Amino acid sequence: MLLSTVILYFYIRSILQEEIEQDLYSRASRIESVIEMGADPFSLPPVVEIEQVSSKLPAFVKDTLIFDPSQDEMELFRELTTFKNVQGNFYRITVRDLVVESDDILIAFIVSYVFILIIVFVVLFYLNKVENSNIWQPFFHTLYQLKHFSVASKQPLIFKDSEIKEFSELNTQMKVLTDKVRKDYNNLKQFTEDVSHELQTPLSVMQVKIENMVNDGPLNDEQYRQLISLNNDIKRISQLNKGLALLTKIENNQFANLQKIELALIITRSIANFGEIFSKEIYFSGDRKLVVTMDYHLAEILCNNLIVNAIKHTSSNGHVEINITSNSFSVKNTGDHPIMDADKIFERFYKESQSANSTGLGLAIVKKICELYGFEIIYTFEKGFHVFKISF
Amino acid sequence: MKVLIAEDEVVLRESIEAYLTKEGNVCEVAADFREASYKTSLYAYDVVVLDVNLLTGSGLDVLKEIKCTKSDTTGIIIISANNSLEDKLEGLDLGADDYLTKPFHLAELNSRINAIYRRKKLSGGNLVICNEIIIDTSSQVVTVEKQEIKLTKKEYDLLLFFISNKNRVLSKGIIAEHLWGDHSDLIDNFDFIYVHINNLRKKLTKVGAKYIKTAYGSGYKFVVE
Repeated sequence: MLLSTVILYFYIRSILQEEIEQDLYSRASRIESVIEMGADPFSLPPVVEIEQVSSKLPAFVKDTLIFDPSQDEMELFRELTTFKNVQGNFYRITVRDLVVESDDILIAFIVSYVFILIIVFVVLFYLNKVENSNIWQPFFHTLYQLKHFSVASKQPLIFKDSEIKEFSELNTQMKVLTDKVRKDYNNLKQFTEDVSHELQTPLSVMQVKIENMVNDGPLNDEQYRQLISLNNDIKRISQLNKGLALLTKIENNQFANLQKIELALIITRSIANFGEIFSKEIYFSGDRKLVVTMDYHLAEILCNNLIVNAIKHTSSNGHVEINITSNSFSVKNTGDHPIMDADKIFERFYKESQSANSTGLGLAIVKKICELYGFEIIYTFEKGFHVFKISF
Repeated sequence: MKVLIAEDEVVLRESIEAYLTKEGNVCEVAADFREASYKTSLYAYDVVVLDVNLLTGSGLDVLKEIKCTKSDTTGIIIISANNSLEDKLEGLDLGADDYLTKPFHLAELNSRINAIYRRKKLSGGNLVICNEIIIDTSSQVVTVEKQEIKLTKKEYDLLLFFISNKNRVLSKGIIAEHLWGDHSDLIDNFDFIYVHINNLRKKLTKVGAKYIKTAYGSGYKFVVE
């Protein structure tokens, strides 16, 4: 580009110069013939000057700077001086012509080049853009499909056919992959349901047999106690089963029924029920307008598990305090000392005390529900209280 | 009342049959989908106990058939090993009257069947009569020898549960589950039941109805000779 500018510049300049010189020669020869025909020598400075001189010299061409009053600046002129012998008199004929200034040429070149460049750039840019969006359109469609893909969806992904080989291969592989993921997910879900089903039926058989024994036979008190204890164990297995199935369901995001829930209503009902069951004092205070968007069933489980956990771990003459603000829900209960492994408290089957009758899943379920909705739950021990606080 | 028990697990089926027969009901059984579908299409039952996972088909399909062909007088209770909420909602949406998850107590099943029967057949306005105790289930008023006794909601439910399962030993766990439902899943000590039973017992004893007896030290029995 630069080189072509330079070459063009010199080429155009030499052409112009040649043209001017030809013009000057032709003018000089015309003046000569006019003088030969007897006209008086005339002058029109700076373009034409005729002078009578004493001797004849060879013709020459040169550049000269002459002040041009119309433009009020010095202008470059090309000047041809020839000497002619007309009827014994020597005349010096000087003709001049304005030369196009070289920086003007240069500027003209640069301006036109830049102009061309800009036009070419803009046109190419838009052409490319249109072309690219056409070519990549199937790719972006695939990307959009993947972004909105859920393993739980019942419908398989449908990709657009593409004429571009790479994209159609990509789509084929994506289809294989997503179909497999969906199939595996469904198998896993089916497995969880099957396990739950297969365990619950033998458990019901055991429970029913115990109930029959209790009602049929004369038993002694010890036998009855043993049978009821067996019954409680069955209940625990069944709860574990339900708890694990629930955890899997939360992990699989199978609770898609979001709604706005006034948490205070659930908490009040929960307190009313547990208040009848346990003899602990429960105080409830705070902003009753807290509204949370989540699944109703999970909201109930969340509140119940936290409240029961607090009640169960309250020291013998302690109490439970529940507080909600516009963006948090906290449950406190009196305790003697902080939990030793506070990091592990939300893990499955972690038990601080060896009380045999809790499943060890309650807080793990609470944590999973919080993770599902992006709530933050923290445990602290403050002034003789165990505090579980959820920030929404 | 006439009850059909559609359950593929033989021990459960026979136990439910024995329990309900002892309460004075006429029971028929169906061991699989085909049999359940056949019997419900031929005969009219007051209540059908329906397992969702029948061997050769879904109990929910039997439910649909009953709802299509029979008038709305057949009460249906679904029993399922699946605790999932969607199953429960689907069952109830299809027109089931109640839903019970395994494992369940026979006493609980029996009390729910009685409740459905009262609601369906007798339009809810039934009097449950046990000797001198008369319970009006529509107004929830209990009278003993024409003398009304004031009961709390829990005591009322407890009395109805006892009368539905009279002469049976009921453990505290069974009673807690009946009165507090899912909340009782989180409880591991049922001693709090004692307070409610004791209050009911006192109120009944005061008017001369001494039916609630302690069995084996920690269970209870509503004894009607």
